[in-house]
Amino acid sequence: MIRHIVRRMLQLIPMLLGITVMSFVIIQLSPGDFLAEIRLNPIVSQETVDRMRTNFGLDQPLHVQYLRWLTNIVRGDFGYSFAYQVPVLWLVRSRLFNTLLLNIIALIVAWAIGIPIGIHAATHQYSWSDNLLSLFSYVGISTPTFFSGLLLLFVAFKTGWLPIGGMTSLDYDLFPWYGKAFDVARHLVIPVMVLGVLAVAGLTRQMRANLLEVLRQDYVKTARAKGLAERVVVNKHAVRNAINPLITIFGFELGGLLSGSAILEVVIGWPGLGQLILDAVVRKDLYVVMGSLVIGGVTLVLGNLIADILLAYSDPRIRYD
Amino acid sequence: MRERIIMPLLVIVAATLAAAMAASQSAPPTLPDIPNPKVVVEAPEIGKFGGTYIVSSISDPRTFNPIVAQETSSTGVTGAIFEGLVEQNYLTGEIEPGLAESWTTSPDGRTWTFTLRQGVRWTDGTPLTMDDVLFSLEAVFTDGVQTSTVDLLTIEDKPIRWRKVDDRRIAFMTDKPVGTFLRLIGSLDIIPKHKLGDALAKGGAEFNKTYGIDTPPREIVGTGLFILQSYVPGQRVTLLRNPNYWKVDRQGNRLPYLTRYVILIVPNLEAARLKFLAKETDLYSARAREFAEFKQGEQAGNYTIHDGPETFSSEFLVFNQNPTGVAPPKLTWFQDVRFRRALNYAIDRKTIAEQVYAGRASPAWGPESTGNTLYYNPKLPQYPYDTGRAQQLLAEAGYQKGSEGLLRDAQGNIVEFIISTNAGNTDREAIGNIVRQDFTKLGIRVTFAPEAFNTLVGKLTGTFKWEAVIIGLTGGIEPVTGRNVWLSSGSLHMWWPKQEKPATEWEVEIDRLFERATAEINQNRRRQLYFQYQEVVATQVPMMFFTNPKTQPAVRNTLGNIKLGLQGVPGELETLYQKTTSRP
Repeated sequence: MIRHIVRRMLQLIPMLLGITVMSFVIIQLSPGDFLAEIRLNPIVSQETVDRMRTNFGLDQPLHVQYLRWLTNIVRGDFGYSFAYQVPVLWLVRSRLFNTLLLNIIALIVAWAIGIPIGIHAATHQYSWSDNLLSLFSYVGISTPTFFSGLLLLFVAFKTGWLPIGGMTSLDYDLFPWYGKAFDVARHLVIPVMVLGVLAVAGLTRQMRANLLEVLRQDYVKTARAKGLAERVVVNKHAVRNAINPLITIFGFELGGLLSGSAILEVVIGWPGLGQLILDAVVRKDLYVVMGSLVIGGVTLVLGNLIADILLAYSDPRIRYD
Repeated sequence: MRERIIMPLLVIVAATLAAAMAASQSAPPTLPDIPNPKVVVEAPEIGKFGGTYIVSSISDPRTFNPIVAQETSSTGVTGAIFEGLVEQNYLTGEIEPGLAESWTTSPDGRTWTFTLRQGVRWTDGTPLTMDDVLFSLEAVFTDGVQTSTVDLLTIEDKPIRWRKVDDRRIAFMTDKPVGTFLRLIGSLDIIPKHKLGDALAKGGAEFNKTYGIDTPPREIVGTGLFILQSYVPGQRVTLLRNPNYWKVDRQGNRLPYLTRYVILIVPNLEAARLKFLAKETDLYSARAREFAEFKQGEQAGNYTIHDGPETFSSEFLVFNQNPTGVAPPKLTWFQDVRFRRALNYAIDRKTIAEQVYAGRASPAWGPESTGNTLYYNPKLPQYPYDTGRAQQLLAEAGYQKGSEGLLRDAQGNIVEFIISTNAGNTDREAIGNIVRQDFTKLGIRVTFAPEAFNTLVGKLTGTFKWEAVIIGLTGGIEPVTGRNVWLSSGSLHMWWPKQEKPATEWEVEIDRLFERATAEINQNRRRQLYFQYQEVVATQVPMMFFTNPKTQPAVRNTLGNIKLGLQGVPGELETLYQKTTSRP
C-alpha cells in the first residue's frame, strides 16, 4: 500500500508539469495580458505601462518566465498576484476556508440524504415513492447550479426568510460565537441546498442502480433463503457490496472540494475561491491562475488516492501491490 | 427718568445681541487642536451624528495603498482614508483647500507654494508634517512604484520639482507655467512616512506591496474621514469615523456625521440591485433601463431615484487612419474628412439613446460630456441624423451607389469595413448593431464583429490592424489630462498613435491648443482654448461620439444632505447622515 501511495505521488510530478506547461503557454499565447485595461487609461503613459511590464517580468521570454515560476514553486513560493500585489498563497488562504466549509457541509448533507434515499428507491423499485424520487433526481441533475442558485436568491428576496447571498451579516463581528455560527448557517442554507440537491440526485441514482444490481446476485438469494431478516440482507450484505462505485465517486468529490462550487459562488456571492479564480482568469492575473491550477490538480489527485485507499480498505479483493 | 433707564438698557441688549450674532455668523469655527478647520458649506442641512452608511461594490479593493491604487474598487476605500493637499468640490469641480489650507502662485505661474494645515494628525496620533508630503512625492517618483500619478505630475516629459520652504510651506516649480497644476497636485495622496518609510527604502517593488489588502487594519493610518476597521475578502470593508477629523460643518460641529461606512462586496450588479431593494444598502447606481421601474417602486422601497446629470464618459466610433494598420483604398476613405462627416450624419443617435439607454442619454457631438459643466462647449457643429444629407455629402466626395445598391468610391471599390468592439459589453454591442444598420442604409457593407477585450486592446495599442472600433474612455474634468488621447504623439491617439509629426493641419492645431491650455492659468482663457479644441474635433470627426448617458442614483430616504453633484454623485461622505439612526 505504501508503495502504491508513493508511486501515485511520484506520478503527480510529471502530471503537474504537463498541466502547468500547457496552461502557461495557453494563457500567454492568447492575446493580451494583465495590462490591457491600464493601456486604455488616458492618463497612463506608454512608459508607465512598459515599466509595469518589466516589474511583472512579462517582458521576459516565455520559457524564462515559466522556469522562474517553477523554481519558486518548488521552494513553496507561489508568486505574487499582479492585481492585488499580495502573495498568491495569501489570496488563496483568505478564501480557502469558506470554499471548504461550503463544500464539506454540502457533501455531508448530500451523502446523509442521498444514500438512504437510494437504498429506499432500490428496495422499493417502481413503487410510487421510487418514481417520485426518480423524477426528483432527473430534475435535480438537469438543473444547472447557477439557475437554481438565482431562483433561490429570488425566493429569499421575495420572502425575506433567508439572507440574499454572501456568507455573514453586517454585524457578524459583534455577535457571540453561537450567533456567528447561526449567522453563517443561515447564509449556508441556499448554497448547500443548491449543491446538495445536485449531489443527492446523482448519488440516489447511483446507489439505486448499484443496489439493484447486487440484489439480483445469488448470495443475496442465499442470504434470504437461510432466513435472514430483509433488513439485515439489505444493510449488511447488499449495501456493503454496492458501495464500491460510490467510494470512487466520493474520491472525485473530494478532488472537487475546492472547485466544485465555483459557479455557484460567483452567482450568490459566496466569498470563496471560485470568484477569485474566475476574476484572475478574466484579468489574466497569471500567477493566481497558475497557483490555483496547481492546487486544484493536487487536490484532484489526492482525492482519487484517498478513494483508492478507501476502496482497498472496504473491499479485501482489491490489492494494489 | 424712566426713558433714561430704558435707553441704556436697550443699548446694552442690542449690543449683546449684535455680539452674539457676530459670534455665530462671522467668527470662523475652530477646534481645540486645529486652529483653522475647513468648513464644509455645500451641505444643505446640519446633520445628526451616528448611523451607518452602506453601499455596495462589485469587486474587492486590490490595495489600500493610495499611491498604487488604480481601480475604483480600491480608490473607493482609500479615498475615505487618505487625502491630498487640495481637493475637488464635488458639485462644481472647482479645486478647494485640503490638507493645504492655502496656496499662492508666482506671477510667472511657474511656482506654486502651499501652506500645510496646522494640527492635522494621522489616525495613530502622529502629527502630519511637511516630511510626509515630501515622502509622498518621493514615493510617486521612485523607480518601480506602480502609479499613474507619476504621469500626471510629469509635465512634457519633465517631472515637477519641489522645495521645502519651511515646516509648513512647500514650493513646486515647473519649467513652463502649468494651468492645471492645482488639479494635478490634487491627485497626490499624502501618506504617512513613519509607516511606509521603511518599505520605500527597500525599493519600488516592496512599496507596491505595502498597505496591501493583507495589512492588519490598525496599521493603515490616514488623515481622512474614516479609519479602516476591517476587511473581509469577498464580503465587506468596514470603516469607522475618524474622531479627530479636520473639517467642520457650518455650526462648527466636527465631521463626519456617520459613525460607520460599510462597502459590501457583491458578485454582480444584479446582486447589488437586490441588496438595495431589500434595504440592505443605501445607494444603488441604477442603470438607465431601470429608471422607470425604480421610479414606480420609490414609495414601497423608501428611496428616491434621482434624474442625475450625464457621466463624463461616452462611447464613440473611430476609424483607423494609421498607414501601418490599413492600406488604401480603406485608408483613403478613413482619412477623408468628407467621408467621416457623411457617416456621422448617418448615425441615428436618437435611436441609440432610446434603445440602449431607455431615453436617458443626450446626443454627443464632441469629446467633452454635457455633464462637464466647467468645460463643455454647447455650440459645437452638430450632425443630426439625416441619411439624405449623408448621401449628398458622399456623392460630393465622389462616392456613388451602384446599381446593385452598394456604395463605391471614385475608383469603383466597394465601400466595406469591419466594426469591432469588446464582446460582452452589451451597450457597445447594441450601439454597434444600430450603427451597422445606419451605415447599411448608405449602401456600405458593414460587418460588426465584437471580439475579446484583450484582443481589441492588442490591436488598438500594438498591431494597429483594425478598421473601425466602438469603444469608450474614462474622462476627467480637465481635458488636458487626456493628452495621451489627443496629442498626435500620444499612445492612445486612437486613429493614429505615436505620430512623429502630426499628419494633418488640424492635429497640429489640437497639439497647439493642448500645449496652450496646459500652460494657461486663467480658467476662463483655458475654457476658451478647450472650446476651440472641441470645435476642431467636432469639425474633423476623428471620433464619432454617440451619446452622453445620464446617471440615475437611487438613494434611501433615511439619508440626509443629498444633493446631486457632477456625474450624479449623491452627496459627500463628510456630510451625509442618517436621519433615523436605528442602525448602530
